[in-house]
Amino acid sequence: MWQQVRQALNQSTTDFITRLARLLPGFVALVVALLMSLILAWIAAMVVRRLLVSMQFDERLARLGSSAAEWSPRRSPTLLVSTIAAWTIVIIGLLIGLAAFNSDVTSSLVRSVFAYVPHIIGAIIVLFVGLVVARFVARSVLIGAVNLNLGYARLLSVGTKWLVIVLTVAMALVHLKIAVGIVELAFGILFGGIVFALALAVGLGSKELVSKSLERDARKNSSEVLEEPFRHL
Amino acid sequence: METESTPQQTVKSAEEIDGADLVVGILADLGQYAVAGLCDDLRGLPGNPRVVVLQNVPQNALQNHAASASAAGSDSSAQNSSLFLLPWTLHGQSLPTTPFESVTAAFSSIFALSERLGARGCCLLASHLEYAPSKWICRLTEPLLDKSSDFVAPRYALRKFEGLLNHSIISPLTRSLYGKRIQNPMGPDFAISQQLFQTLWGAEGRNGERTAGGMNLLASLLPRAVCSDLQVCQAYLGARTYPPVDWTAVSSLLTQVLGPVFLAMERSAACWQKTRASTPIRTLNQPLPVPQPAGSVEVARLVNSFQLGVRDLQEIWGLVLPPAILLELRKLSRLPAEQHHFPDDLWVRIVYDFALAHRLRTINRDHLLASLTPLYLGWVASYAREMENSEVTAAEQRLERLALAYEAEKPYLVSRWRWPDRFNP
Repeated sequence: MWQQVRQALNQSTTDFITRLARLLPGFVALVVALLMSLILAWIAAMVVRRLLVSMQFDERLARLGSSAAEWSPRRSPTLLVSTIAAWTIVIIGLLIGLAAFNSDVTSSLVRSVFAYVPHIIGAIIVLFVGLVVARFVARSVLIGAVNLNLGYARLLSVGTKWLVIVLTVAMALVHLKIAVGIVELAFGILFGGIVFALALAVGLGSKELVSKSLERDARKNSSEVLEEPFRHL
Repeated sequence: METESTPQQTVKSAEEIDGADLVVGILADLGQYAVAGLCDDLRGLPGNPRVVVLQNVPQNALQNHAASASAAGSDSSAQNSSLFLLPWTLHGQSLPTTPFESVTAAFSSIFALSERLGARGCCLLASHLEYAPSKWICRLTEPLLDKSSDFVAPRYALRKFEGLLNHSIISPLTRSLYGKRIQNPMGPDFAISQQLFQTLWGAEGRNGERTAGGMNLLASLLPRAVCSDLQVCQAYLGARTYPPVDWTAVSSLLTQVLGPVFLAMERSAACWQKTRASTPIRTLNQPLPVPQPAGSVEVARLVNSFQLGVRDLQEIWGLVLPPAILLELRKLSRLPAEQHHFPDDLWVRIVYDFALAHRLRTINRDHLLASLTPLYLGWVASYAREMENSEVTAAEQRLERLALAYEAEKPYLVSRWRWPDRFNP
């Protein structure tokens, strides 16, 4: 009996040590991959930082009116981009290291993570383009509304900007396949809410403007002479 | 090749003519008696030059043109005549909203025909004129024929509240940059020599005109003439009748006109940076007295536009204007309408900063120029308030002071142009 117990224990110990020994190369590979990715990340961060500094990236973004500096570490979008580049390389290194274990679980995990990467890239592009478009449209609306003498120009501009941002975020989330049903519902409610709020604000605020505009059109139609004494060109 | 952009109707008729000394394009709807008068004046030009007059005729009125031509005493098929009056229809053009749009649409057509006929010069008439001196068309075209000038610009009788964009920006800016005291550098009624139109045609080119908008050619007239060392003069043409203004379209007008002006400024930077002081230019004809508008003007809406701009456009102006100017604008916007006064040096620096931002593409160029509108209306309000009860001579003196301010602030522009980041007060 004792002999059999000892034999079973030996067998278990041997199995454990064998499995541990099998894991060791994978573990070493993980450590090596992590170390290499850390070094690569450091180099990449340095290169990206220098490149962006030489391109005056922060100043250009500020000139474009981007608010990226507000939510960047030390208010430097350059630092933000270089940090993102470094962490991307570290995560890729970690995934490659995990793949070296060659077990079913890690392999399928890595495969699914890599399969998700295009969605993340797509969502980032959608967000970036959306934010640029939102700023452009907001500026166009603001300037146009001020030139039309509308007292609520800023409200219109901010409303338009948030409409585009909400649309962009919803598109990005759908692209990421995160709670698609909830996102669609929430987007519908939010978008509709903003449009309704804007319609109310503009409608109530511009009653007078609309009536004046109609009056002006009527005057034009009846060939009445404009009272404006100024001629610009 | 040259006739590609010439309207088909013009080419058909002009093909019967083998050469001309002068091509005159009448874009304004002058009426047959006015055109007949112009033709009579042109026949009296010294040296009996061969003149081709193109009269803009709407597509549906082409049949009636024969009557008009006979009223003008012209026979467009007679080869030995010294004056040919031809109908001229701008095909493919939608109805222009400003006289400048029509001018630019007609520009390439006139150039192409002048080049084909080997004309010594061409002339474009786009405005209705009142109180014009006698034989004013001769004064406009003679300098081309006797080769004493390459660009004859119009000088209109000053009416206090007309041509404000020209008086506040285009004319004084041109004077400060290129050193020529010219009242209307962009016409729209002008005459140019063969040498100048060939320079323009070659430099701006058919492609340049198409891609960057036809206004570029008008804005390039004086810079090209001055930078090519060509002779420039101006002729009194009486009072110009301006089209009624739609205040909601002021921003699109600024965008259409100032964009090409700033672009021409960018292209000729090497030339204007060398120019120091301005000099008067030869002026033909004598000015005639013109009645001025009477009564008070309402500036509250203009001041309101300015104040609204200061309140809401700080974020955009902050990218273009230095902090000191923004501070001045905020102070100015707090004043009541009856105390509203836009200092000349502040206005001039604003114009220079916008020109610089246009060059640096600090923000989208259309946004930039449209955002100038409240500032421009602020200047108009200030000027109108000052000149409300003044005589026309006072307005002339006021505009002269503004032009001098442009010249005085030119070193500021040159410094910022050369070192936009280093020199930012």
